[in-house]
Amino acid sequence: MCLHNFNSQVVERHNKPEVEVRSSKELLMTAVVVSRNEKEKVLIEPSINSIRISISIKQADDIERILCHKFMRFMMMRAENFIILRRKPVQGYDISFLITNFHTEQMFKHKLVDFVIHFMEEIDKEISEMKLAVNARARECAMEYLKRF
Amino acid sequence: MPMMIQEMMWTRPPQQAMAKNTFSSEFRNIDVDQYNEDNYKDDDGEPQSPPIGVDEATIVSLMNAGNHADALKLLLANAPVASKGKNEQAKDMALNLVLKVLLSVNKSQMDQIISSLDKTQLDVLMKYIYRGFERPSEGSSAILLIWHEKVYNAGGVGCIVRVLTDRKRV
Repeated sequence: MCLHNFNSQVVERHNKPEVEVRSSKELLMTAVVVSRNEKEKVLIEPSINSIRISISIKQADDIERILCHKFMRFMMMRAENFIILRRKPVQGYDISFLITNFHTEQMFKHKLVDFVIHFMEEIDKEISEMKLAVNARARECAMEYLKRF
Repeated sequence: MPMMIQEMMWTRPPQQAMAKNTFSSEFRNIDVDQYNEDNYKDDDGEPQSPPIGVDEATIVSLMNAGNHADALKLLLANAPVASKGKNEQAKDMALNLVLKVLLSVNKSQMDQIISSLDKTQLDVLMKYIYRGFERPSEGSSAILLIWHEKVYNAGGVGCIVRVLTDRKRV
């Protein structure tokens, strides 16, 4: 993750993450996808002063789809506290991170990488846990309700 | 009467009052920055035609003979690398062939093949692996992940960085 400070070439005195602006071809590097299967993939778009990492999470059925959607929305609404999270995911993916050179200057690079990897590992676990909890609660509710009959 | 005719000679119709090209304001819609000489041009001096892709029949025959290493080397040597947007058709055909070869090799042969490739070929192979990830099909990603790990062990981080920064896409 080599990010350098780079002032905007288009507008004077501005400093924008080039991967978001996409104004000059020479500042963007090849976007790379790493996929485990058709459902799970990670898109990495590097540029000279910023990286965008987009994750597509495995969603096997409707419940997981809803849970994932709500969970991601919860986190993206609090994106300011996450610092590197992007408020809207890139088209086709579930969640996106935007890391700029300012972040790498303030935080350890290897810690940022560890965070993203840890995030990817935990997400699947958390969603399955939530799904189990939802099913358990639904079962309890149904049992209590049907005891009347 | 003569004065009026003289006045009529002096006054001209409005279109010809000023220079003709400022009458319409179309010039405001032109993007002048594209004509700037400093602009980055992706393909500095590429008049030579990229190498013609390898014939599919040769690859199939090599694969049927079990000679995956040679098939792969042939494909890598003639890979149509060019900047983004150029020669897409040849690139796609080459990609399909390379993926076919990569997916048919089994694990034991992979190490052997990788050790017989040189640095530039490893880089091109890594580029193809990443392009293969973009189109996951049944079970392909798992094999590509194994390929990726082995090529990374052989090529190191530099191999991946070269894939990211090279403007000539495969």
